[in-house]
Order: sequence, then C-alpha cells, then structure tokens
Amino acid sequence: MKLPKEIVDALRIKQPDDVIVYLTTCSVDGKCNISPQPFTDVYADEFILMPDLFAVKTKINLNENRVGVVTIAHPVEGKAWALRGPCGHIEWGLPDNYDFQGVKAGDILKKWGEWSEKESFSALPPDVRPHVIAQRGVIVLKAADCLSVNLDDSGKKII
Amino acid sequence: MAKLTPRMKNWLEGLGAHIGTATKKGFPTTIVVDSAKVEGDNIVKFQLSEAQVAQVKQNISENPQVALGPGGLGSIRAAYQFKGVARIESTTLVVEVREIYCTKPGPEAALRLDTLPYENIIKFESTRWRDTGPPK
Repeated sequence: MKLPKEIVDALRIKQPDDVIVYLTTCSVDGKCNISPQPFTDVYADEFILMPDLFAVKTKINLNENRVGVVTIAHPVEGKAWALRGPCGHIEWGLPDNYDFQGVKAGDILKKWGEWSEKESFSALPPDVRPHVIAQRGVIVLKAADCLSVNLDDSGKKII
Repeated sequence: MAKLTPRMKNWLEGLGAHIGTATKKGFPTTIVVDSAKVEGDNIVKFQLSEAQVAQVKQNISENPQVALGPGGLGSIRAAYQFKGVARIESTTLVVEVREIYCTKPGPEAALRLDTLPYENIIKFESTRWRDTGPPK
C-alpha cells in the first residue's frame, strides 16, 4: 500500500523536528511488546524503516511472528494513524539478495545500515541518547493497513 | 507483584498510553488513550471510547495480555514499558501491571525493573531522569 504524502512526510528523516513512534510486535502466542523508536524513514512510499539499535524483544517477536504496528507517539497533532503490516528485521550479515516483502537486504543496508550517517543521534537530548550506538540492522514494516487511532473512529481504515 | 513508582504513575496519568493488544494467535492492534488513572500499586484504568472498545474487545476476551507505552513525550522521557493482563468493564480498560521494563534507547533497553527491590527502582529513576512527571 502506498502511503499518502502526509504520512510519508511525517515519518521521513528530518531535523530537528522529528517524530517518535511506537512499534508494537507480539509473540506468536500473543504477548505484545511496545517499543519506542526515535528514528524513522520511509522507502518507496510503502516501507517504514527504523534502525535496530537495541531491539531485543522486538527481534525475538519478529523472528517468530512477522507483523507489527507503528503508531505516532510525539508529536501527535494530525498524526492519528496506526500503520500495520508485515514487519521484519534486516541484519548486517544477511546476503545482499535476501528479500523481505520485496525489498533487498543489500539495498536497505547500503542506504540505512549506518543510520548515523543520515541522521545525527545527537539530536536526542543527552539523558535520552544512547551512550553507545551499535546498529545491528534495520527494522522494516511494509504498510498494509492504515487505521485511525482517533477516539471517535478508532480502528477505522483510513486508506 | 509489580509496583509502579510515583514517576511512572504521573506519566501514565498525565499523558496516557499506547496500548498493544493481540489475538491469541498474535495479530496485533494498538490503540491510543491520552490519560489514565492508577489505583493502588499496579492497576491502571483507561477510559475507552465506544470505537476503541469495539476495536479491542475480541482481543482482550481471547487474550488478556497487553503492553503499555507512555503516551506523547512519555514515549522518550518516561522510557518504561508495562506488561500485564487486562479486562474491559463497560468502557473502562482495567490493566493489572505484572512486569515493568526500561525502554531507554541503549544498553539498558529491555532491562526488567519490577524484579528489582522497590528502592532500587526509585534509585534507578533518580539517576537517569530529573523530572517526576510530564511538564505541566
């Protein structure tokens, strides 16, 4: 599903006014994990990308259940969306031709594998910023559903 | 049993949470609620809209496990994740928190807090954050 421009613009790398999102994943038996992601970008207007910095439980879940939901945590004005779809992680060491939902590991890692070259992690406040940056790869969510999270029509398909 | 600190309570009550639910087979749904009420040590109550109840009712009935991330600026400034079991009473989602994790980006991400002695959780917070809740 191609995302509309307003969603792509919200999730694209930009500084200093960037968004923080939550990524919800769950185990195959339904135990959820909700993880804040301070960095996002969009590929091909369809794939939401997040650097894998220390996503321990997220990766455990994605190894057994490849689906996730991205919601916008901050700033929220005009961004009441839940984006759900197939979700996986592309780790350093995977062959370039490894395919996840139509994207190749080589293409993703070449451009986003060293996220700090595209977006300075120092944009985060000192008490929030990781002391050590050790990016293991890139988390990829292919948007399949776009749902409202507004109170009055929560769950309604927007696109 | 998990015991929320005053700082955790303040952030949840002030800015609510993103609430992850799922079917018993692991298909997730996330809703957003902008305030909460914390009762006792570990009960968090969210007032849901009719649309939100309709969205998560089936998930909660077949799989009561939920995960909460503090809303708004709390996503990054109150880097906690709360996991527990939920039930719906009329239009209120009642969550009994059973696990608390740190989600501060970096090597402490996924550190479990509720298994620490309570005074150590307070000390952990005080050495990482100066605020006691969201900005007024």
